[in-house]
Amino acid sequence: MQRNSRILGVGHHVPERVVTNDDLSRCMDTSDEWIFQRTGIRERHFSEGWTGASDMGAIAARQALERAGKAPADIDCIVFATLSPDVDMPASACLLQEHLNLSGIPAFDIKNQCSGFLYGLAVADKFVKSGTFDHVLLVGAEVHSTGLDLSTRGREVAVIFGDGAGAVVVGPEADTDQGILTTHLHADGKYAEKLWLESAASRDRPRLSEEIVAGEDARTFPKMEGRYVFKHAVTRLPEVIQEALVARGYTTEDISLFIPHQANIRINQAAAMSLGLPEEKVFHNIDRYGNTTGGSIPLALYEAIEAGRVHDRDLICLAAFGAGFTWASALIRW
Amino acid sequence: MGSAILGVGHHLPDVVERLGVQRPIAIEPIGPSKLAARAAQSAFAAAKRTPADVDFIIFATMTPDVTFPGSGVYFQHELGCGTTGALDIRAQCAGFIYSLAIADQFAGIGPYGCILVAGGEVHSSGLDYSDRGRSVACLYGDGAGVAIVGSIDGSRGIRATSMHADGRHHREFWCEYPASKRHPVRITVDDIRAGRHFPTIQVDKVREFTLGAMPSVIHETLEKAGLRAGEVDRWILSCILPEAAEEVAHRLDLAKDTVDIPSARHGHLTAAALPVALSEGLESGTLAEGAIVGLAACGAGFAWGAAIIEL
Repeated sequence: MQRNSRILGVGHHVPERVVTNDDLSRCMDTSDEWIFQRTGIRERHFSEGWTGASDMGAIAARQALERAGKAPADIDCIVFATLSPDVDMPASACLLQEHLNLSGIPAFDIKNQCSGFLYGLAVADKFVKSGTFDHVLLVGAEVHSTGLDLSTRGREVAVIFGDGAGAVVVGPEADTDQGILTTHLHADGKYAEKLWLESAASRDRPRLSEEIVAGEDARTFPKMEGRYVFKHAVTRLPEVIQEALVARGYTTEDISLFIPHQANIRINQAAAMSLGLPEEKVFHNIDRYGNTTGGSIPLALYEAIEAGRVHDRDLICLAAFGAGFTWASALIRW
Repeated sequence: MGSAILGVGHHLPDVVERLGVQRPIAIEPIGPSKLAARAAQSAFAAAKRTPADVDFIIFATMTPDVTFPGSGVYFQHELGCGTTGALDIRAQCAGFIYSLAIADQFAGIGPYGCILVAGGEVHSSGLDYSDRGRSVACLYGDGAGVAIVGSIDGSRGIRATSMHADGRHHREFWCEYPASKRHPVRITVDDIRAGRHFPTIQVDKVREFTLGAMPSVIHETLEKAGLRAGEVDRWILSCILPEAAEEVAHRLDLAKDTVDIPSARHGHLTAAALPVALSEGLESGTLAEGAIVGLAACGAGFAWGAAIIEL
């Protein structure tokens, strides 16, 4: 007997320190106007001290548990989406598990970049649907700030990213027309190196060296060919949303709110326009956080709920596109 | 609906002598995605599938080709699998068990005709072969294995899976750098000079934990599958310390000729160890269609798990 799954609670966390576009223009040749025009970003948060993805994820997770009315002991499995794990190994999920004192349950990381949260949601959905687990804690969190080239050389990528975390508790739903209705996952590795961070790379011998770390070629920083990302994103996002709508027999008009991954406001506006979604049905918060990758969708979902934009029985559409390239969508009857 | 392993394949680089032991080690610069793409060829042949049939990819590695994106997309492109989803999993030594459990979930709800479950590692490029690091470096090898999982009617195939982790022990077997938690940059020249980018292992603690966790997860999984240990035709026990796996087999009273410990012959292949050993068993004839196989793994995280499958 199959049951459905649904999101029982959402939590978020961003570090205290706010870095504005003007702050960035003091260490690189850029400007508030240049960044805002191209990305929609005004400011982002950077973590400090020894804060890792799991530290922020734990705060978001506790809030998600509280909103879900669940205790840590109710959680059966931890799924952690991140491309910036706390340490090289093991997975940040294991560090989060230590924070939440949840020894014994499965804990693993997912590395699917901007689509990581939706890939994780698909996995959590399957575990709950099958009855294998009752409650899965899905966390998306990134500390990008320690991996950025904050000089003029790195500006194209450095201005985009921010640190942040979001978490959801996925639990059972008896009504199969309610909760997570459908998820769709895609990738195309042909474009793996259009948005990527090379070193440490196991295919290099040696993987790391003084030259690589200190070197002028900056292989330890992310690189992007923005026009490829833009071009593919504005095609793939509407496509994967249509795929989800068709799978459940809906049309664009049925969508109550579209919460896209927050990578670039121009991409999300173009995707919404191509779907014929009016501006008021699209949620944005990139202006205050930048691209928080694994954290962005739960962080946006949290704020949409707080802003009173998510109501019972609403049809919520989530979608993401990013490095890999990977892209994904989900429809949720709230 | 259930799921089954429809075919497996493996690829190991040439064996070379390092630190006095024979290990499969990638001499050329190559990432796990390419090793896995080679392994996939024999898995496709065994399962009578082609890259065009692939409807999902799960890639387990702790040594990804690059920092991001994950190795799954490189693997997907190398094989030519269109725009099928490619999920990257990080669960260290238990990566294949976790990935198999996830594939079983997808295929159980499915239907899926061809999920590629790959485990691939290139450890050698990240190890310290000097005197400082030799005690850890000699424990590892490089390689990849691929299993093709598909939906089936009935309850044969993947009978039961179990997954566990205990992050309290993560510092006892870890590699700290590069660390995104280290501000303002993840790794410095000083970290490199001090060798902080190499894995460290507290052997006694890992052994002690393995001796508790592995028998326990094997009992749990047997119970889920409704089988006794003696009804399993072959055991593949994967952990970085071959002598700990031997001790596990001894404590469980498993017949010696039914136990395979892949780290004893290849060094530890982490996420690749189990699919490589499955593929080798089928190739050499120690495994055949219809055999009941018990898989178990325990390692960094700590993360551990087991699966009982009917081939």
